[in-house]
Amino acid sequence: MLKRIKPLQGALPYFIAGLAIITVWQIVVFLLQPSPAILPSPFKTANTLWELIQSGELFIHISASLSRVVSAWCLAALIAIPLGLIQGTNARFEKVFDPVVELFRPISPLAWIPLAILWFGIGESGKIFIIFVATFFPMLLNTVSGVKAVDPVMIRAGKILGCDSSFKLFIKVILPAAMPTILVGMRIAFGTGWAAIIAAELVAAQNGLGFLISDGMEILRSDLVLAGMVVIGVLGVLIDSIFRLIGKKVNWGQS
Amino acid sequence: MSNNQIAQKSSSKGILIQNVSKMFYNAEGEGIEALKPVNLDIKAGEFVAVIGPSGCGKSTLLNIIAGFESATAGSVWVDGEKITQPSIDRGMVFQQYALFPWLSVSENVEFGLKQMQVPAEERKKIVHSFLELVGLQEFANASIMALSGGMKQRVALARVFCTNPSIILMDEPFGALDALTRSMLQDELLAIWKEYEKTVVLITHSVQEALVLANRIVVITNRPGKIKLDIEIKLPYPRDKKSLEFRELEAQILSQLTDEIAKNYGAKPKSLTAD
Repeated sequence: MLKRIKPLQGALPYFIAGLAIITVWQIVVFLLQPSPAILPSPFKTANTLWELIQSGELFIHISASLSRVVSAWCLAALIAIPLGLIQGTNARFEKVFDPVVELFRPISPLAWIPLAILWFGIGESGKIFIIFVATFFPMLLNTVSGVKAVDPVMIRAGKILGCDSSFKLFIKVILPAAMPTILVGMRIAFGTGWAAIIAAELVAAQNGLGFLISDGMEILRSDLVLAGMVVIGVLGVLIDSIFRLIGKKVNWGQS
Repeated sequence: MSNNQIAQKSSSKGILIQNVSKMFYNAEGEGIEALKPVNLDIKAGEFVAVIGPSGCGKSTLLNIIAGFESATAGSVWVDGEKITQPSIDRGMVFQQYALFPWLSVSENVEFGLKQMQVPAEERKKIVHSFLELVGLQEFANASIMALSGGMKQRVALARVFCTNPSIILMDEPFGALDALTRSMLQDELLAIWKEYEKTVVLITHSVQEALVLANRIVVITNRPGKIKLDIEIKLPYPRDKKSLEFRELEAQILSQLTDEIAKNYGAKPKSLTAD
């Protein structure tokens, strides 16, 4: 019984926040009476959303965006986590690699759009590349700091308990000790990747939530734009809470 | 007893510390002498307590014996072999427990046995008997995070004794525990030590703890550390803290230590408590 109530209790603040946003939004619409092309009412937006759901169009957009983010995120995990593990354990590698990372990190995924088109064309790979850029750095940096933060006493304990090679020590002690921080990095990266779908789908997309928004802007349908924004926000929170749930099972560290 | 079949008795070894000294170098390349040449011959099965003011280099000495740090000069020998790196044959109990929080209680105890490639079935038996020994068999599947400090150190004791090392090194193992838990664990340690007859080197800052546990006490001076006092404690176990002999020894060691601590502060303090 308790276990069933808990997730609902966790969701309550989000319901209240959502209600508050809708209320403020409705008040603004009521007071200023803007043209629906500038700011549609919550009801109009909800209606549009409902139409998108009924026609099934929304799910096409969601699955398109989600599959792009998942592919980019997996690809980034495959590259960023091993690199981070090397950087965190090898001081010489870090000395060379860290400045490179720091130079690339401030460049927004948006800035990569022109090059993404030039390099990968207007197909899927260019979009995945942009999201990849957004997911890469949080994973890399968290992996590095996770490895570096491993308590030296743990390493000593591992050594004296028979981890006689650096490889054994790495697999048996350093990696599991760094795992909670690595998982946090993966969670954050999914969030930044999800936020980057707008940038990725600005370029010649035929579907996706980012496309829904940019297309809505072009045909002056603010209700479509807002519906897309609402879906991105709600799904972002949902995905993040799924990650947190998984994290809690794996995470021995905090709490 | 089943414990004896698994972890064989009398596998302890002596430690020979020859002219071991240690220098630390700061960023400017200036050397700081942490240990003056130390000579110590620890016999197999001896329980040696090393006491000294904080920063005297006693932990450095232990880390050199463990193989975590190398001596600047001199060497440590165990059974005719020079120590160059950590080995599972020299177990260590850390003040901070150093248990692996991603593993359960029994998996923590099992860790060293796994590295030694003890077959799974035998591992299970050994882990069970050692958890029983420290009274934690009911917590076998518990998470480390759920344990109190005293329970954690019990797991650490089980973890170190179950691999049957020749030597057990302890770096202020009970320093983070409250007085009651500490005294309980001291009793438990003594019982296990007597049963398995291991060579133990214990670092402590408590004279009373040293006198309760050890049959030899070594006092180390302020940095750079060197041996100031090395006495055998012949009092029978269990030691009576209130006995005259105990108190006399305590006073003797304390006065040596007080001199050292006074040097640290540049003045001799009027009194010093036993703990």
